[in-house]
Amino acid sequence: MLSVKGLKASVGDEPILKGLDLEVKPGEVHAIMGPNGSGKSTFAHVLSGREGYEVTGGSAELDGEDLFELEPEERARLGLFLAFQYPVELPGVNNMYFLKAALNAIRKSRGEEELDAVSFMRLMKEKLKILHLDDSLLKRPVNFGFSGGEKKRNEIFQMALLEPKLAILDETDSGLDIDALRIVADGVNALRSPERSMIVVTHYQRLLDYIQPDHVHVLAKGRIIRSGGKELALELEEKGYGWIVEGEAA
Amino acid sequence: MNAAVHQRTGQADAAEAFAGWLQGLGGNGDQNSAGGIDWLESEREQAAARVRTQLVPTNKSEGWRYTGLRKLIEQGFVNVDEPVTALTPDDIGEFLIPELDAHRVVLVNGRFSDALSSLGELPKGVRIGSLRDLLESDPASVKGVLTRIAGEGRHVFASLNTAAIDDGLVLQLDRGAIAERPIEVIHLSIGMDEPRVAQPRNLLSLGDGAQAQVIERYVSLGDALYCTNSVLEIALGRDAVLKHTRIQQESRNAFHITGLYLSQEANCRYAGTNIGLGGTWARTDLVTRFAGEHAECDLKGLYLAGDQQLIDYHMDVRHALPNCASRETFKGILYGKGRAVFDGLVYVARDAQKTDAEMSNRNLILSPNAEVDTKPQLEIYADDVKCSHGTTVGQIEPEMLFYLRSRGIAASLARRMLCLGFAGEIIDALGPESLRDYVAEQVGQRLEQAPLE
Repeated sequence: MLSVKGLKASVGDEPILKGLDLEVKPGEVHAIMGPNGSGKSTFAHVLSGREGYEVTGGSAELDGEDLFELEPEERARLGLFLAFQYPVELPGVNNMYFLKAALNAIRKSRGEEELDAVSFMRLMKEKLKILHLDDSLLKRPVNFGFSGGEKKRNEIFQMALLEPKLAILDETDSGLDIDALRIVADGVNALRSPERSMIVVTHYQRLLDYIQPDHVHVLAKGRIIRSGGKELALELEEKGYGWIVEGEAA
Repeated sequence: MNAAVHQRTGQADAAEAFAGWLQGLGGNGDQNSAGGIDWLESEREQAAARVRTQLVPTNKSEGWRYTGLRKLIEQGFVNVDEPVTALTPDDIGEFLIPELDAHRVVLVNGRFSDALSSLGELPKGVRIGSLRDLLESDPASVKGVLTRIAGEGRHVFASLNTAAIDDGLVLQLDRGAIAERPIEVIHLSIGMDEPRVAQPRNLLSLGDGAQAQVIERYVSLGDALYCTNSVLEIALGRDAVLKHTRIQQESRNAFHITGLYLSQEANCRYAGTNIGLGGTWARTDLVTRFAGEHAECDLKGLYLAGDQQLIDYHMDVRHALPNCASRETFKGILYGKGRAVFDGLVYVARDAQKTDAEMSNRNLILSPNAEVDTKPQLEIYADDVKCSHGTTVGQIEPEMLFYLRSRGIAASLARRMLCLGFAGEIIDALGPESLRDYVAEQVGQRLEQAPLE
C-alpha cells in the first residue's frame, strides 16, 4: 500500500529525514516511535504534503502513485488522511459545512454521487456515535473553542467519515487524559479493517496499549534504526530511547 | 518649481472637470422636476454655484489621498437625460434574490420605474414613490428634509448631485408605522452610447417609532461603463429603527459614488451594512449626526476588491450630544491588484459625555500586489467616554489552508471557505436568510474565481 524508499527531507538547510524506508501493507498498523526531534512529525507532514519541507531524495508511493507529484488535496482524495497533532482552529467556518465539502470532494474523486442532506445527516449521526460526540459539534466552527479532547476526537471523527486507505495519526495521544484516550483509541480500533492501514506516530507506549500495532519502528536522527513487533514498544517504555539510539551511534 | 506647476494643474476647476454632469441643468426650469419650486430651485442653484467655486480634489486634499479622480474625470461622463422605458419585468429576473419576499422598487439610470417596481400592498402609513412625482404632487412633504440633512455635503460630488436633483426614491413612514416585509430598492444601470452619470437623490424618512428594513442594491446589465453618483438622506425620528443593507454590485467598468447622510433623533437606531463588490472605482461616504440622546448607529461593512478595482469607504460620525453609541465594523478582502481605503472618523465633542464608540477595520490580503490604506481616527474632547479602535491587515494562515486541503478540499474552495469565515460576522448580520445566502454566494463566487497567488 505505502512504499517509502530512502526518503530524505529538510527544513530550510537542515536535513531532518536522512534516508527513511518503510513498507506498509493493507490492513497493517505500524507504530513509529522515537525521541523528540527524531523526525516523526516531519515524516507525517511530508507524506501529507504540508508546505515548509523540501524532499531532497527518495520516494513515497501510495498504491503505486508518487505522492510527491500530488497536491495535498489530491493525496487526500487518493485515500491519505493525516490526524493532526494540533488540529487547526478555523473561526467562522462551520464544521458541518466543512465536513460536507470534504466528504463530497472525496466522494466525487471516487466517482460517487454527492450525498443528499438526509443521507449526509444519517451518516454524521452514525459516525458521531462512534466517537461519543454530541451533534452540537456540527454547528460550531471547525475546532474553534473545542477542548483538547474534542479536537482529537473531531480528527478521528473526520477519519471515520472520509474512510481513508491510509491514516497517519500524528501524536494523537498527546494531551489526552486516560478517558479521552480510550474513546479515541476505541474509535480508531473501530476503523481497523483488512483494507485500511494506519501509521501511529507517538512518543509514548501508552497509546499502543489501546491501539495494538503489527509493527513498531524506532525513528532516530532521521532514519528508522530498529523495527520489531509490539514487544519493542514495551522494551522502549522500560528502558527509554537512550540505549537504542546510543547503541546505533556506537 | 516643477512640483508647484504640477499642483496647480492638478487643482483643476470642478465646473470644468464636471461640465457634462451639469449639462442641461439650471436656467430652464421645465427640464427637470424642480421647476417652479422656489426653495428647491434655490438649493440647486446654490449647489451649482458651489461646484463653480470648488476645485477637484487631488491626492493632497483631505479624504482623497488614496483615491485619485483622474480616471473618473477622463471618462467625460454626461448627465443622463432621458428615461429608459424599454425594459420589462422579465429583464430584471437575473437580479432578483431567490426567495426574498419584499416590496420591490426599481430605478433605472436614476429614474424611478413604475413598470418594473412591484410594491405590493404597503402597510398603513408607509409610502414609497418617485421623488419626481412627489415634487409635482406634494413638494411640501419633503421640504425641510430634502437637501437639509446632507447640507453642503462632504465634497463636490454631493454638490453635483444636489445641483442635478430630479428623481430618486422617496420612502416615508408615518409616526409608528411598521413595514414588516423588507423594502428592496434596485438601482439598475444600463450603458448608453456615451458614458452617462446618473444622480439619483433618495430620501428615507421614518417618523417617531417607525420601523423598516431597506435592502438597497446597485446592479447593471452587462459590463457597461457608467457612473452612479447617489445621495441618500435619511431622517430617523425618535425611537425609530432602520435596518439598511446596501449591496454595491455595479458593473466591473462602472464608477460609483454614494453619499449617505443620516440624522438621528433620540433613542433611534440605525443599523447599516455595506457590501462593496462591484465597480472599478467606488467611493462611499457615510455621515451621521445625532440630534437626540441615546441614539445608536451601527455601521458594518464588507468589501472585496480585485484587479482593476478601488473601493473606498469614508465614515464621519459626529457625537455632539451625550449618551449615544456608534459602532463601525468593516472587513475587507483584497486580491489580485485590488485596492481599498477605509477612513473612519469618530468625533466626540466636549459635551458628548458617556459616548460609546467602537471602530474596527480588519483586512485579509490574498495577494502581494493588493493594497489597503486604513485610517481609523478618534477625536475625543469629552472625558467620560468609552471609545476604542483597532485595525488589522493579515493574510490567510497557511496552516488553515493546509488543514482544509489535507481533507480533500481544493485550494480555491478552501480559500473561499476561509474568506467567508472571516467575513461571516458581517454576512450573518444581514436580515433574512435568503439575503445572507445570496451575499455569501456572490462573495464566494468572486473569491473562487480570483487567481490563487
